[in-house]
Amino acid sequence: MKPENLEDYLVSLHTGQWFGWSDSKNKVYANLIIHDSSKTKPTEQECIDGLAQLQADYDQAIIDREARKASAKAKLEALGLTTEEIKEAFGI
Amino acid sequence: MTSILEVEQLDTLSSNASSTLTIGGTNTSNVTFKSGVNFSGIIQGITEADQWRLNTSFSGDATPIASNLERVDNASFGYIGTGMSQSSGIFTFPSTGIYKIDFFLQVQRNVADDSQIFGEILVTTDNSSYTAAAYALYGSNYANQRLTVATSYFFDVTNTSTHKVRFDVTSNAGNNTVVGNTDINQTFMNFIRLGDT
Repeated sequence: MKPENLEDYLVSLHTGQWFGWSDSKNKVYANLIIHDSSKTKPTEQECIDGLAQLQADYDQAIIDREARKASAKAKLEALGLTTEEIKEAFGI
Repeated sequence: MTSILEVEQLDTLSSNASSTLTIGGTNTSNVTFKSGVNFSGIIQGITEADQWRLNTSFSGDATPIASNLERVDNASFGYIGTGMSQSSGIFTFPSTGIYKIDFFLQVQRNVADDSQIFGEILVTTDNSSYTAAAYALYGSNYANQRLTVATSYFFDVTNTSTHKVRFDVTSNAGNNTVVGNTDINQTFMNFIRLGDT
């Protein structure tokens, strides 16, 4: 699933229950609390940039996957397989 | 031969130290009430039912899930009885009895690493040593896949000071997210008192 919010970024930073919210109904940076004192609270800008990077990585991964599928399909067609045979055998 | 006793009230003798009123004796095998009779003052059915959830996601392990837990608080939510209390992931029962404990664990796999993820119900009967009572297992080799697994246990709580329960999540890789949500139950626990111990 595509990263959508601040929590998606925080989960990717460290493992375990190192953070939480002072108001779980309003998960904004101002309500971010750190449970694990060994972890440093990221800045708000780090969170914004980090989430943007996660989203970009996710989008790029989809583009890459589609490109690999297209490449594989083209190579299979070059070998003489029909579109139907490729779909039946490989699902692409 | 049928005999009918018509009285307004049955009461114990004032000399009855236990104040226990017993209906039936050695010859009694069935007690029948007229259909449609309404009872009052009798505690019937489920007396304790509660539901808690994880309100914030985390990755990796939690032994136990110690924070970001909340009683479900949706406007339409209801629970029965006193409900559970919780501190650092250790749940205390409101009264003795046989409890059905459910653990629903929603996990998102982030990497196709063929790892396994366990969701465990652990109980103690001495308020110290916890043993696994039930676990759910999720293993696959697909990334970006989200799945819910569940497990359940009937716990005989004979002492609320010593009998506690907690919930652990472990995996043989850290590339998973346990999904929490403060509005919708995704990773959550049910506690239902089925009857007396």
